[in-house]
Amino acid sequence: MVLVSALCIFTTLSGCLTGLIEEQKIDDGGIPVQSEYDWIDDGELTIVTYDVYGLTPEMIELFENQSGYKVNLLKLDDAGSVLSHLLQHQDNQIADLAIGLDNTYLPIALEYDVLWKHQAEVSNISEEVMGVYQTEYAMPFDHGYVCINYDKSVIDGTNYSVPTSLWDLTNQEFSGKVAIPSPETSSPGRAFMTATTYYFDNDADMNTTWTDWWNAMSKNDVIVTTGWSEAYETHYTGGYGEWIEGYVGDANFVVSYCHSPGVESYFNGDWTKSASLDLDNYAFHQIEYAAAIEGGNLGAASKFIEYLTSYEINSQMPLSNYMYSVLDNTTLPEEMGYLNNSLNPTNPAIISFHEISQNMSSWLEDWNFAMVDV
Amino acid sequence: MKRGMTHLLIVISYLTLVIFPLILAFDRLIWVSGFNPSNWVNSLEANYISQGVLWFTIKQAFLSTVVTALIAIPIAWQLGRYEWKFESVIKAVLTMPFVMPSIIVTMGFLQITGSNGLSLRDDSSTWLPTLIIAHAWFNSALFIRFCEPVLSNIDPNYLDQIRLLPGGNTRLKRIRNLWAPLLFPSVIAASCMTFVFSFTSFALVRWITIGDNSLESMMASIASSAGIQGYMISHNEIILGASLVQFILLASALWLVSSIQQKRQKQIRQSLEKIVKSKNKTGWLVIGPAITFSVFPLIAVLISSFRIRTTSQTGTHYDWNTSAWNFAFSDNYSLASANDAIFNSLGYATITVLIALPIGWFLSQTIVKVESKNRFLARVLDLFVMIPFAVSSVMIGLGVMIGMIKIDPEFFYSLWITPVFAHVMITTPFVVRILISSRRSIKQDYLECAKVLGLNNKERLFKIELPLMKHSIYIAIIFVIAMSLGEFGASWVVTRNSEWTTLPILIDSLKGVPYNNSLTIPAACAIASILMIFTIITFTIAEKFRKSNTGGMF
Amino acid sequence: MLKITNLSKSFEKILFEDFSLEIEPGEIIAITGPSGCGKTTLLRIICGLENSESGEIYVNEKLISNLPPEIRNVGLIFQTPVLYPHFDVENNLRLGDKNGNIQSALKEVNLEGFEKRNIDSLSGGESQRVSIARALLAKPEILLLDEPFSSLDEELSFQLVSDIRKILKMRKCPAILVTHNINIAEKFADRIVSLNK
Repeated sequence: MVLVSALCIFTTLSGCLTGLIEEQKIDDGGIPVQSEYDWIDDGELTIVTYDVYGLTPEMIELFENQSGYKVNLLKLDDAGSVLSHLLQHQDNQIADLAIGLDNTYLPIALEYDVLWKHQAEVSNISEEVMGVYQTEYAMPFDHGYVCINYDKSVIDGTNYSVPTSLWDLTNQEFSGKVAIPSPETSSPGRAFMTATTYYFDNDADMNTTWTDWWNAMSKNDVIVTTGWSEAYETHYTGGYGEWIEGYVGDANFVVSYCHSPGVESYFNGDWTKSASLDLDNYAFHQIEYAAAIEGGNLGAASKFIEYLTSYEINSQMPLSNYMYSVLDNTTLPEEMGYLNNSLNPTNPAIISFHEISQNMSSWLEDWNFAMVDV
Repeated sequence: MKRGMTHLLIVISYLTLVIFPLILAFDRLIWVSGFNPSNWVNSLEANYISQGVLWFTIKQAFLSTVVTALIAIPIAWQLGRYEWKFESVIKAVLTMPFVMPSIIVTMGFLQITGSNGLSLRDDSSTWLPTLIIAHAWFNSALFIRFCEPVLSNIDPNYLDQIRLLPGGNTRLKRIRNLWAPLLFPSVIAASCMTFVFSFTSFALVRWITIGDNSLESMMASIASSAGIQGYMISHNEIILGASLVQFILLASALWLVSSIQQKRQKQIRQSLEKIVKSKNKTGWLVIGPAITFSVFPLIAVLISSFRIRTTSQTGTHYDWNTSAWNFAFSDNYSLASANDAIFNSLGYATITVLIALPIGWFLSQTIVKVESKNRFLARVLDLFVMIPFAVSSVMIGLGVMIGMIKIDPEFFYSLWITPVFAHVMITTPFVVRILISSRRSIKQDYLECAKVLGLNNKERLFKIELPLMKHSIYIAIIFVIAMSLGEFGASWVVTRNSEWTTLPILIDSLKGVPYNNSLTIPAACAIASILMIFTIITFTIAEKFRKSNTGGMF
Repeated sequence: MLKITNLSKSFEKILFEDFSLEIEPGEIIAITGPSGCGKTTLLRIICGLENSESGEIYVNEKLISNLPPEIRNVGLIFQTPVLYPHFDVENNLRLGDKNGNIQSALKEVNLEGFEKRNIDSLSGGESQRVSIARALLAKPEILLLDEPFSSLDEELSFQLVSDIRKILKMRKCPAILVTHNINIAEKFADRIVSLNK
């Protein structure tokens, strides 16, 4: 018993058991290269995603009827959970297709080789989208610009001035009034954090950095949530959250999309009290991707990618998924003030996929340090 | 020799099934982040996601313990000192909350305090008090279970004697010199266990105090990124730090409870005869509200499953119908249907019993037998068996997810029963505790006499031991079923695969669906009602077998 | 002195009916009788832990029948010593008199130096001596003893009987001993009363 205990303790201290297990896996066979893709078509497609609104039962049923594949949805909390799922199941994936990784999360998935090149034939994706990043490993299916929305009825220019710089949000008058999804877990949150690296590198103030701003926001009681839903539905006063159970309504600013006020207007019958903050260099162009997962049903995954990017489905993105379509020559609907109330940023943040790939880990560390250092 | 081999085999089975996955999980976390315990603990305050979490966890656990004691001690007093009509029913109703799955309680309190009830949720300052009261709802049963037997069965001469002495001739003096000291060990034991359960609370914290995490809910939120080399290394450190802190606190609390229990059992004299108690009409001022408090959240859940709320710019209106139940049982692309969840839950519970009960039986037998020859070895074995007690359910989930499954993911993901491993890990220590206590209470004379009468091992087992222990065995079975049905923390970490969805996970999934379907919350309540009914049935059966007044958790 | 007049008590059957008794100051009596005849019940009625159906009890000419046990100032020694496990010897004694002279009380019962002892380390005889010391610290007007020696061996019982009688006589404290052992009754009491059906 003493020997067994000592053995257990020793191995626990060293991590060597895991080392042995992982070495054994490598000896058993590595990761197949493209020419060795060997997949089985079992008639089913399992999609791992978070709550993408556009994946409605009707939409999925239509795909099933058209393709003959049976679809299973594995819904996780947010984009971060989707990425973690893929990494956690590396070499032993249980899903075939990942939907919802964006251009801030995709680099890590590529780095860990958990995706396969898809076989979807898609041709009419807009240059605006493809210009951000092109890869055979993932297909864009929607996009939008991440920025800050504010409640016009409160931030009305009289009682409170509309911020003209992100630094204004660190003022005492806005203490506890800004809700931001965490960049560690949420894709809009991560997109916004990424944008701030560009914004503060290009603002007039050369003495402060993006981490200084986050530090100041932390001291100013910024509300950080796990996901976009909680920030927008629970905390934001300018959106539909007041109709939702659990609504608190303590934030007049929220990180969302520049076109979110347009969505509000559409569903409110051409009216909204939400607006997007129009500042240079801070809106982030987010692209969301669908990607075939290593070892999965590549045929089914590719078919779904084609379906998702078909005109029939993708042109409806603004109304089904509340995001821009990735197709050429599409825009937001004009009805009910959707287009009018959506901000199209003229000078968004410009950060390449390569930069994101190189720096995301250190950005997240720096962000964490800035938020903690109160 | 043959018997010794059997015992060894059993211990090895237990270590393999229960302890080894935990070791592997810790091993993997250390493999990713390195071995540096002080770094792990420091990481709790050095990372934004975990900053302040330890303080919040301790604060809410402490407040929950105090409030629970304040609510429950008067209830225990009334039950212990006075006679009540339908006493066993009253006790059952008041102690039933303890076995209720936490997700049901969560839904209940959300319905009471939410927009369908008192509309308190829009004021975030009410969240912490709601959490504390929910914990009190759960854990009052502990105080009743620990304290009521002391009050009921104490040798009445203790009270009679002190009334005749100046040191006890007023009520206050009797409280100070008799009741408080006599109840102190039970109160401390109940407080420790309440603290432990509040400290490791997950479902309630997840949904009631949104934005404030306990160690458990924080660990659950980052569990999916644990054990991946080169990725989110800080999360691994945080989990290790949180587990270390949890382990120290929980192990200390459990050790304290066990020493107090042992000491108390030696000292307090119990009445040899049935005590005649008087009635107390004013006691209904305590018992009445207590009963209402016990059942109200459960009724709220049931009612909410039929009440559909829709809100628009024109206003809010309610419809009463069964559409949420239909929705819950319908096939859905992203959510398992209620039928699948029921099948999984009942199936896992059954298999858990089939595994945990024999292992627990043999372990308890082994410990008692070893005790007579080598007390130290028996104590070590006992401690090993109890390790899962000192580890939170989320950590157990991680044990399965990154410990066990990673050995051969393809194999374990293909097995429908994989989540059962977590259930076995959680329930086996309870089985051992229940059966050890029963086994120790069998007089040695019975077994020795059986030997002298010529009964062999098998005959002694079936004719003497099993019949004498049958009540405890039934209670162990029922307890395992109830715990397995309601298991949430470990399952939440493991079952990120819709084929493994259990009732508690389905409720959580429904609760987490965004707003755009007014049926999801009532559907969650519908599933919670089903789970509630299963739990009440198992609990009622357990109560029939319970020998009263053992003075412990079970 | 103690005066009991026409005390009656039934419990499923008549235990005693119209029982009367007088005890002179400083007198020690023993009450004997077969098992179940109501000896213990009689003591419990005197100290107020149970009620009689009729009759009156006077202590030093004060009617105590209607008073609760806490204020009757009657001491009771139980058959099994009732010492509180959460207190040591000293603190058990302080229940009798919180400001009392503990050393002197212990000396009186031949238990000098026992102040800090745990209750569970005491023998049966020692436990009973502590009970008696505690009861006497409370300065009762009468001391009742309910078969306090029944769980002890005869030699020890007789020693204890002799010691307690000496103490009671020194204090001039009247006492009633209930016992079924006639030898002990004869050794302890000035007078024996039989409580027959």
